[in-house]
Amino acid sequence: MALKRRATILAALSAAATILILLWKPSVINNGLQQAGLYAAIAIPMGLVLGIVHIVNLAHGEFMMVAAYATYFACRATGMDPLLAVLPAAAVTAAFGWVVFQLTIKRALKAPELNQLILTFGIAIALTQAVNILFTSQTFKLQLDYVSASIDIGEDTFPVWSYVFVAFAILYAVGLKLFLTRTTIGKAALAVGQNPKGAAIVGIDVNRVYGLVFALALALVGAMGALFLTKQSIFPSVGSPYTMKSFCLVAVAGIGNIPGILGASLLLGISEQVLRGFRDTRAWADIVFFVLIIAVILGRSIKWRKS
Amino acid sequence: MTKLRTEHLTRAFLGLVAVNDVSFSMEEGEILGIIGPNGAGKTTFINLVSGIIMPSSGTVEYKGRDITYLPAHDRARLGIARTYQLIHPLENLSLIQNVMVGSIFAKGNGLRAARAKAEEVCASLGLTGLDRDTSKLTILEIKKMEIARALANEPEVLFLDEVMAGLNSDETRELIAQVQTIARERKLAVGVVEHVMGVIKELTHRVIVLEAGELIAEGPYEEVSKNPRVIEAYLGGAA
Amino acid sequence: MNRNLARVVATLLGALAVALPALAGAYPLQVARNVMLYMALAITWDMLLRSGQISFGIAGLFGLGAYASILGVIRAGMPAWASIPFAAAFSALAALLIGYLILRLRGMYFSIVTLALAEIFRIVIHNLHDFTGGPEGIVAPQGVIFGGSASALYWLALGGLAVALGASIWFERSKFHFALTAIRDNEIAASTSGVNIFSWLLATFVITSGIQGLLGGIFVQSYGFATPDSVFSADFTLLPLAMALLGGIHGTVGPIMGAVLLGVASEWLKLQMPYGHLVVYGIIIIIVILFMPRGLYGLARKMARPAEGRAE
Repeated sequence: MALKRRATILAALSAAATILILLWKPSVINNGLQQAGLYAAIAIPMGLVLGIVHIVNLAHGEFMMVAAYATYFACRATGMDPLLAVLPAAAVTAAFGWVVFQLTIKRALKAPELNQLILTFGIAIALTQAVNILFTSQTFKLQLDYVSASIDIGEDTFPVWSYVFVAFAILYAVGLKLFLTRTTIGKAALAVGQNPKGAAIVGIDVNRVYGLVFALALALVGAMGALFLTKQSIFPSVGSPYTMKSFCLVAVAGIGNIPGILGASLLLGISEQVLRGFRDTRAWADIVFFVLIIAVILGRSIKWRKS
Repeated sequence: MTKLRTEHLTRAFLGLVAVNDVSFSMEEGEILGIIGPNGAGKTTFINLVSGIIMPSSGTVEYKGRDITYLPAHDRARLGIARTYQLIHPLENLSLIQNVMVGSIFAKGNGLRAARAKAEEVCASLGLTGLDRDTSKLTILEIKKMEIARALANEPEVLFLDEVMAGLNSDETRELIAQVQTIARERKLAVGVVEHVMGVIKELTHRVIVLEAGELIAEGPYEEVSKNPRVIEAYLGGAA
Repeated sequence: MNRNLARVVATLLGALAVALPALAGAYPLQVARNVMLYMALAITWDMLLRSGQISFGIAGLFGLGAYASILGVIRAGMPAWASIPFAAAFSALAALLIGYLILRLRGMYFSIVTLALAEIFRIVIHNLHDFTGGPEGIVAPQGVIFGGSASALYWLALGGLAVALGASIWFERSKFHFALTAIRDNEIAASTSGVNIFSWLLATFVITSGIQGLLGGIFVQSYGFATPDSVFSADFTLLPLAMALLGGIHGTVGPIMGAVLLGVASEWLKLQMPYGHLVVYGIIIIIVILFMPRGLYGLARKMARPAEGRAE
């Protein structure tokens, strides 16, 4: 309940700010919305894993990076459009995630949180550096015409391609909500997340559910990897800021509150774009998430001390 | 002399009231039983008094000082110590080091003084083999170690949360006698949570009864055990 | 392990460290300096880990110290030697501020904030380019400390290691050992035994970060220049972490063992694999955490005392 109230306040505040900025600098809002969509679509799968499997996956953005690389070379080899690769990328990344889960993370589920953090940190490094060995630190980019699609309003030109990220973010949020409340496996996942021992007693295979949730999250991340490639350059460490920003968004929304991630992303995406809108502040946009997470931790620790 | 007093102490978790409007006091040299059926709020009550959680409303006073929102470590320094229903050994420290922790941090003793104090407390509980790992200890020894760690705080108020659980009757008898001696010699006020009524009967001077978070009776065990409300709430099923 | 044997090994290692400048040429001394630097960082990382808190921020506080040192010389006119303790103080102060804000909420929140530190500091250095030299870095006009004498630089690095080693041994023998172990084992039991968890964690974070800053100062003065990419390099987080984990955590001996093994190996690896040699450390971290969380030293101790079972 508290989560919902906070999400409502957050949404109302962002909406008010949005309108103000819209009147003053419309391109900031246009870019900010699209940026927010990208952040949200990447963070929502982390929210799923953290909220249900209770694992902080420090290799989250790195899995997306691997999916983007795989898509890039598949597209280069076959001439396929990365949009066609969205579903295959999701499937391949999910399978890869399932294997990684079975080989490593499953063994650390019962270990202290400390071990999981170090383990997924190690996975992140291994993925980044493996790509570094294979393809060096050179950047790759696909040249696609449709990503420069834009709309002219008056004298201003607004690029619109990245709204595809917004669509995916909403799709993910709604889809996961339905998955968790309407499907048997989704309900089982929720039950396992709330009470793993109880779920094991009533006959749910806890490890299997964890593995499936992890693979599902990676499917969503994998699809984002293909989509990410349409617009952005890729290099080995391209994923790592998304790991940290995703965690920041999940923490701002409150762990377990997947729709809240949309609101939090709006806050981060637009704040960053406001800073990017001025020459003097442009370079500081990348520390917004850090300020946000510190603010959240402070707020939470004050609350925690009271209770 | 009143050591510890609560007034209207209340704690709710998400609408569920675990401890409701409990007012009580503990006197120097008194062994007080805290009883009640499962889920009555006994452990929550001890958590509130020792500062593990903070109350929703009400006050806690220690020797006339308001400590309602004081953090647990400061209460330990003032002289409130406790053990846990589920054992909490510090498994990467040896037996004696576990006990020393209480003396080092609650009393601010140096390592040498803390060791001497810990040895003295361990001796009073009959603990030997002090440099052993906690993984090598029997359940009785771990329970004694946790009591010793609490005593090394040199507390004036001590809570023992189901310390007899899991012990056989000989072990229980031995520990009851030791707790009685220690309480007398150190002029402690001791709060004891136990499910075994025989232990409560033998050990305590007075009991308070909690049911659904509320204090429903208090007085000597013999008296309380005849109280119809208590029998209905608690002893009814067992007797 | 047998106490006497440990003492003999420690004495031999110490004697070797002291005799090395007389025995070895410039390149082995340079390798030794790197190994000692990473060893010291591994020890400080482990010191905080003894409380159950994982920091991924070594490179951040190390790089911050490095910049504090070189900017202290260039902008404030400090003598090079004085800029090194200044670097320690600066990183310690930064850790005090950050720790005060975030250490009440521990666990993953602390770890992830530290994970971002190197990147955040790097951005700050980039953006304050008029003062810091920005992305291109900054060069000390008077050059390398001690005129670049190989043996003097060696003694300086050895001094940095001695500080880390001394602090770690002090931690093991003082109240820190009791406080940090109690916090790691059981925070509730620790707090009701009078341990002020927040204060002990903050003190530990500040001390270890201060030493990391000191090492950053030594590093930067040994090269006479700093760039954001060189001093905030992920190597400074990754190698110490892999070394401590491989050697064995929660003590002084493990990180030393790990650093000797991996430190020598890493110099060789760097030559063999210019791109992505760090993958080895990622894999070491994964394997150690899954299959031997006590590291090599833990394994050795277990084999040395089989009769006592899983004793520590």
